[in-house]
Amino acid sequence: MTTFEPKIVCFSCNFGWGYLTDPEVREMQIKHWIPVVCSGKIDATHILKAFRSGADGVLILGCVDGDCHFQDGNYQTRKKVQLLQRVLPSFGIDPRRVRIELSLDPEGNSIRKIVEDMGRDLRPMGPLGMKEISAKPVATR
Amino acid sequence: MAKKRKIAIYWLGSCGGCDEAIIDLNESLLELASEVDIALWPIAIDAKYASIERLGDRELALSIIHGNVRNSEHEEMAHLLRRKSQVVLAFGTCACFGGTSGLANFLKPNEIQNWVYGEAPTVVNRAKTRPQAETTVGGNHLTLPVLLDQVHSLNQVIAVDYYLPGCPPPVDLIAQAVRAVIEGKLPPRGSFLAPHKALCDSCPRNSAKPPKIELTHIRRIHEVDEDSATCFLARGVICLGPATRDGCGATCLSINTPCSGCFGPVEGVDDSGAKFLSALASLIRAQSDSEVSGILDTIPDPAGCFYRFTQPSSILGRHRK
Repeated sequence: MTTFEPKIVCFSCNFGWGYLTDPEVREMQIKHWIPVVCSGKIDATHILKAFRSGADGVLILGCVDGDCHFQDGNYQTRKKVQLLQRVLPSFGIDPRRVRIELSLDPEGNSIRKIVEDMGRDLRPMGPLGMKEISAKPVATR
Repeated sequence: MAKKRKIAIYWLGSCGGCDEAIIDLNESLLELASEVDIALWPIAIDAKYASIERLGDRELALSIIHGNVRNSEHEEMAHLLRRKSQVVLAFGTCACFGGTSGLANFLKPNEIQNWVYGEAPTVVNRAKTRPQAETTVGGNHLTLPVLLDQVHSLNQVIAVDYYLPGCPPPVDLIAQAVRAVIEGKLPPRGSFLAPHKALCDSCPRNSAKPPKIELTHIRRIHEVDEDSATCFLARGVICLGPATRDGCGATCLSINTPCSGCFGPVEGVDDSGAKFLSALASLIRAQSDSEVSGILDTIPDPAGCFYRFTQPSSILGRHRK
């Protein structure tokens, strides 16, 4: 029996997470890791495209609340995630498949554990399978 | 006398409003009719599908197709017209993005049928009758088109050359588009025959918009006093103008109604719903997650609001079954 391992795309802010570590080492540890200049850079479109491309979950790591290098990018993205979580159920997607964490970890050692914890929570939901959904016409009969 | 070029105007899953908009060309229609032969236009002329089938491939200079693709007949006609046409124009929001009836994609087909033919409070259907695609009457076998499992925009079914959005498209853009096709002065294939910027760019209320909008409440239109000058978003009323293509002539705004997004995304954007979601979230001012949550609670049906006209062409597409 094969164990389902959720694919989690992790966007992380360069100013709060893992900036003291060699990015290549971090990439080896976290499969779908996308460092960004600020978590505020993440648009809802990026999250939806990650799902469409086969992600089972999307994790966003931003700086500590009130401590954004660019004023309030983390606050803006947290609001986006909250609103997106209200839209996803209409598409048949569990809102827990998007998560945002605001904290600080220059070494980035905790990223792997946060990804693994999210993976454990998503495992019972099974694969999202957006990649397999076709837009081609299919008769209902 | 040179042989006139042939064009077709056809409806798929459409309310007929797009045809009305073409009829609103008024005298220009007579001018059009003098320059081209209309080979098919169900609302206006008596032509048969068989006469289109008899045409050679690419014999139609232009097919103007409105409506979305919802059943097997729509699909068949879309393919037929594509084969017979040099240029296909996706006309109106349903053809371009799926339109309002694309909201059906938030439900499964059996959920829709159960509601319409059973659970709706005005329906009495003790025999639990459901529409059938085939039946036999007096020894004759009859068939009807089959519902597809989701609503499609036209470009999900056939290749589309040009797009003219709008619910319905405004007369000035229709006249420009038809003229461009007849004169052969067309932009690159795949273009939208409409402005590229967002509606806010031409909105008469834009000048009254404050430098920074911070929302602590979301209000519905009947909850605010009538005001024909102030930006709707500044008053907490959801207006999809920032994420919607310009070109409609701001007709809704002129009658004190916020934009609901019928012109679809601005140039270069795939998913106007996601873009508006991000924009709206950035306008909300709250001190805590629970306060944000309280404000968001006041948006009735956020998915239906952000994707009112564009669900089928959204990044996520239909409800995941």
